Amino acid sequence: MALPAFIGRRPTGAYRRLNPATKLVIAFATAAIAFAVREWTGPVTMLAVVLVTAGIARLGRPIVKFALATIPLVISILLVNTFLFPGATDVLARVGPFTATGTGLAAALQATLRVVAFALSVAVFSLTTPTDDLLSDLERRGLGRRTIFIIGSAIGTIPRMLERAREITDSQRARGLDTEGSVWRRIRGVVPLAGPMISGALSEVEERSMALEARGFSASARRTTLRTLPDSQTQLVARWLILVATATLIVASLTGLVHLP
Amino acid sequence: MGGQFSTRVITLIPVAIAINIVLGYTVQSVLKLPIYLDSIGTILVGVLAGPLAGALTGVLSNVIWQYAPGIGGGTIGPFAITAGVIGLLAGLWGRLGVYRSRPASGTQLLLAALVGAALVILVVLPIVNNQTYLDPSVGGFPDWAVPAAIGIAIIAAIVVAGFTYLRRDLAGLWVAGAGVITGLIAAAVSAPISAYVFGGVTGSGTDVIVAALRQGGADVLNASLGQGFFSDPIDKTITSFVVFIILASLSPRVVARFPNGSRLVTPEATA
Repeated sequence: MALPAFIGRRPTGAYRRLNPATKLVIAFATAAIAFAVREWTGPVTMLAVVLVTAGIARLGRPIVKFALATIPLVISILLVNTFLFPGATDVLARVGPFTATGTGLAAALQATLRVVAFALSVAVFSLTTPTDDLLSDLERRGLGRRTIFIIGSAIGTIPRMLERAREITDSQRARGLDTEGSVWRRIRGVVPLAGPMISGALSEVEERSMALEARGFSASARRTTLRTLPDSQTQLVARWLILVATATLIVASLTGLVHLP
Repeated sequence: MGGQFSTRVITLIPVAIAINIVLGYTVQSVLKLPIYLDSIGTILVGVLAGPLAGALTGVLSNVIWQYAPGIGGGTIGPFAITAGVIGLLAGLWGRLGVYRSRPASGTQLLLAALVGAALVILVVLPIVNNQTYLDPSVGGFPDWAVPAAIGIAIIAAIVVAGFTYLRRDLAGLWVAGAGVITGLIAAAVSAPISAYVFGGVTGSGTDVIVAALRQGGADVLNASLGQGFFSDPIDKTITSFVVFIILASLSPRVVARFPNGSRLVTPEATA
């Protein structure tokens, strides 16, 4: 039997070559700092870190796509906070019954930076780390096979279910279902779409649990790994340093010991 | 391996996670409705397997949704906490036997249908009568909101009562109650996350409600809380009924094999 292609695959580039655990720690740290350190410094520096990493990993085009995906949220944040910020009195402009305030605009921009930094840090991680790499590395580090199966299987099921949803939509359309009419018509369309999708998915559960049991899924022996991803002492130290530094910074910032502008 | 995590549950959880994400994505991003419908899988697992399995499903759904963007998971990650709480509660309802079918007839059934309708009205009344929503000097919805809320409440009351009466099953009342309580708790957990992390909005259909409350003068946290108390009970009640219908459509033999199965099927159904 030929080995699957990913066994021999070697990632290229300084950032992509990092161990998945290191990339996970970086993504987690940037997201946590962007959210927990308030005011400007946290979100701005973290967005810079994310953009630099994206640059190193040569993610120019794909990252723009993810940045564009945050636009509806960003518009919502900007409009609601700039025009409707509770208690703000420093008026910038008036548009009809709405008043734009400086405090509101500042809060809106900070929230925008936080959200974009967060969304992009996760995007950089998921774009540079194949799911199978991440899972096999986490399993080697001792995460239980049940958790590994749940995560891996869920990620694999989503595209198949989206595909299935499209198939069901097409076949219901062929039977005369209206999926492009008014809101009310679309709401009525949910039942004939969701029903077959859920019942179909649930019917697989029984079959799959039999298949897993037949392959010794609940055996208690430790499994060997077919492929070990490269890791280094430097990365190990770096991971711990990043985690400790992030935790210290967040605690210091939340308790007011360090006040960043 | 017994407990809440039998192999059957382990294979159910990924399917439940996929149902959460695919359905939630469709409802929020494609249909743009001001509800979420992203916890059907979480509640299903909670009810079938128990609180821990439910919480795990909820938390992982949101984390995976965030990790696999491209399907609009931009803001969902931090709400993993809420999803976990919803799963825990669903497990609790399952343990208490809320989702077990309770056939009834005659006056008892009629009474339950009326109580169900009354329950919905009870939940909506404080919202409609709240000064924060009504009085323009304290805060308030625009004019159309109160009639809209009353309209939704009446429809919901009729649906709950009708469901209970037509299925000849007292469980309709219990499921509605569980859904409303889950919704209120979920709203209370979500509001600080939404206010602290996203400045109070989430980029979905529910932002209209947040904006309306802010316009009335509510502060960031209260506007999110007000939106949550509006959307979540409705959303979780619908979700609970969907889960109840799914459970009823599965054969008792299948349901009984899950860890919590004995509390979900009536003894005579398995015999």
